[in-house]
Amino acid sequence: MNPILTIARNESTQMLMSRRGLAWLLTFSGLLSAFSVLLVSNTELSLLDNAQVLYMMTGTVLAAGALVAAILGSDAYAGEKERGTLIPLLCAPIAPDALLAGKAIGLLAAWGVMFMTSIPYLWAVGASGQNLGAAVCYLALFGTPVVLGFGYLAMAVSSRTGSVITSLLTTITLLMLAASPLLIGPGLRGTAIGRALDAINPLAGALNTFDSVIIDSDPFTAQTTRLILVAVWLVIGLLAARRSASQPVFQ
Amino acid sequence: MKTWKRLLAAVLMTFWFVSVSEAAQPPVSLMLQPDNSNPAAPMMGDHLRFWSTITNTGSSTIDGLVAWISLVEIDPGNEQPVDLEDWSAQKAVTGARLRPGAHLMTAWPMRLIKGGDYRVVVSVTDRGGRQVYTSPTIQFHVRQKPVLQVGRVLPVAAGIPVFFIGMMVFTRRRRRRA
Repeated sequence: MNPILTIARNESTQMLMSRRGLAWLLTFSGLLSAFSVLLVSNTELSLLDNAQVLYMMTGTVLAAGALVAAILGSDAYAGEKERGTLIPLLCAPIAPDALLAGKAIGLLAAWGVMFMTSIPYLWAVGASGQNLGAAVCYLALFGTPVVLGFGYLAMAVSSRTGSVITSLLTTITLLMLAASPLLIGPGLRGTAIGRALDAINPLAGALNTFDSVIIDSDPFTAQTTRLILVAVWLVIGLLAARRSASQPVFQ
Repeated sequence: MKTWKRLLAAVLMTFWFVSVSEAAQPPVSLMLQPDNSNPAAPMMGDHLRFWSTITNTGSSTIDGLVAWISLVEIDPGNEQPVDLEDWSAQKAVTGARLRPGAHLMTAWPMRLIKGGDYRVVVSVTDRGGRQVYTSPTIQFHVRQKPVLQVGRVLPVAAGIPVFFIGMMVFTRRRRRRA
């Protein structure tokens, strides 16, 4: 069997069929359920129309996906090292690129299950409004490179440092930095520094696309710059992961 | 002599009245109209557009003109100004220059976020003047639309976690049997 597929199947099974994976999916669905119920029960939120609720839900799914990518990516190499399975893995006749590809496909499978889990929630909050189909399509189109990019970055740090904790702290800090434009509010985002941050931040790029497509019904042509941004982010993450994974720290 | 005094008083009064009328004449005129494509009975989520026309009716150029739109909710017991944050990205026109007789036409798009009765008005002032001039108001009603349907959200919010709990129980039992 192709070693890439073998590794990918192992990674996917560990994530999705193990108690750990199911517990995570339960937590993820609990998060989306709590969010949905909060939106229904809070009368203040009647100010929002469906499009805005849909936008908030897609943003939450993307953020959760990026978080999972950071965790799985951090565990990819450093976790193997800490469990004592990295050296046998490196001694096996598997090319470093194949190992990386297998782990990336495993991560993609986890994101795919999260994406599929989120679709009923998106339908529940957005079916009576506008752009539900566009929201699902753009979540796949922009969410996948952003999530995979964070996964690659975490794998790069994981293989470079050989420590799950260090990799987790580094990647989650970067994730929070990427999410910071959302926290500082639209006023500060309008400044030159805020706009510059938005221009290079893949998470903000994806969220701005969701805003543009779901709320403002803008066409695909208006999203090409942001699509290039997330594609560049994915390529940078891949190159960093390839470089680090070719010589992982195992001592 | 009395006649002369009365005549003088009449002339002075006329002069004063004309001066006061001239001073009271506002240097700008504002018109506000709804766009022809606005829906007759707008609903939450619909888009409305208003057009304001600001004309310099004075004899000097107006510099640093600022025009802004305001929205007031007038539902009984809930009268309040509305924060336009979610309603409109076009909230003001700033720094415009208007020569005597010239006019500035501005579109004010708006997305209707909440149901209720509203009144919209455009105000204008300039850098040098101390007055604020307002347009006539336009009143409209926004029909309520159910945003989230409880009957659709709750089954999903309860069903998906229950499905994963079922998966966990199933996996555990299968492992025990194995």
